[in-house]
Amino acid sequence: MTFPANSDRDCLRAWEAMPWVLQGSATPEQGSWLRAHLAQCASCRAEYAQQSRLRQAMLLPPAIPVDANVGLGRLLARLDMPEPQPEPAQLRFGGRSGPWLNRALVAVVLLQALGIGGLGMKLWSADNSPQYRTFSDAPASTAPGAIRVVPDAAMSVADWNALLHALKLKVVGGPNDVGAYTVAPAGSSSSSHALQQLRAARGIRLAEPVAVTP
Amino acid sequence: MNDADIDADVTDRQLLQRMSAGDRVALEVLYRGYHGRLCRFLARLTRRPDVIEEVINDCLWIAWQKAGTFHGDSRVSTWLMGIAYRCGLKALRQHGDEPVEDDAMPEQRTPAHDLDDDRELRDWLGKGLDRLSADQRVVIELVYGVGHTLDEVAVIMQCPVGTVKARLFHARVKLRNVLPALAGDVPIHKENLP
Repeated sequence: MTFPANSDRDCLRAWEAMPWVLQGSATPEQGSWLRAHLAQCASCRAEYAQQSRLRQAMLLPPAIPVDANVGLGRLLARLDMPEPQPEPAQLRFGGRSGPWLNRALVAVVLLQALGIGGLGMKLWSADNSPQYRTFSDAPASTAPGAIRVVPDAAMSVADWNALLHALKLKVVGGPNDVGAYTVAPAGSSSSSHALQQLRAARGIRLAEPVAVTP
Repeated sequence: MNDADIDADVTDRQLLQRMSAGDRVALEVLYRGYHGRLCRFLARLTRRPDVIEEVINDCLWIAWQKAGTFHGDSRVSTWLMGIAYRCGLKALRQHGDEPVEDDAMPEQRTPAHDLDDDRELRDWLGKGLDRLSADQRVVIELVYGVGHTLDEVAVIMQCPVGTVKARLFHARVKLRNVLPALAGDVPIHKENLP
């Protein structure tokens, strides 16, 4: 469509107004303006005639026969059909194997949770016992009347054994990193007497009761 | 919107209200009232009568279900055409993107009661619309056939008004260039104008 150069804007305006004037939704002013323009523009007149024919063709009844009564009957029958109940989304894993598969999956998850819980408890209890001890902590349990003894390096095993036998002591711990033993009275003998005897004995460098903190 | 449109919309709203209360007579009235225009609208998307009936029934079934939730933001006809458009697109995805020509029933394309003039006009339009995309055919139908405004078409197609304008413009340009030739006239327009 070619528009005269001096009326390009009017022809464009006419082009845009045509559908709305044809369908009756344009304002009366738009309609009057378009009619006035068509009276003086052959090109737009031809276009408008074709647009009118297009609208006339669009308003023809549908060429494809669809029986309203049959369709309505089907729709009403459809309303009477029970609506399919959707399965709960959280149980819809698919297929007929759903129920037992779901139970198995739930059991596996529970087992995993129990295992993780048990492992956590074990780790927590292990961590509860620190690798260090402070002076305010309660001392490790020792035998009553226990004495820490450091024998001289030159002392023979026989002399050590004889001394312990004479004082009715037995080794309950050690030697530790510095060669100290922990000894305790074998029977009901007095540990204080044994302590004095140990301090007086030859070959004993140190004898101190364990229970008494220096 | 003229007085007739306003009156029709008031009636449609009353029908929806009755439908929301389970009144099937209201559904029947609405069904018969919209069957023709829905049929013609959907015929721009597909030529299969079984698909058209299926989509019309889907549309009215949804209207029956949702009648109570209609807020009245638009005309009832706009609301219904929007539902029909979406149901129609769904049918297109299931049955193919282009209108399905049923060669087994060629006589159905031209009703027996058609006058010669109508038949010629229908053929002319059909050949012209075949040159358009599905979206362009829908816009042409909604504007020239049903008589919706640009804003209403935007609501129906759920797209910006600018998109509707562009589709309408390109569809009109294409039709303007093919329709005269299809009618036996000499084409008088250039492709890229106005």
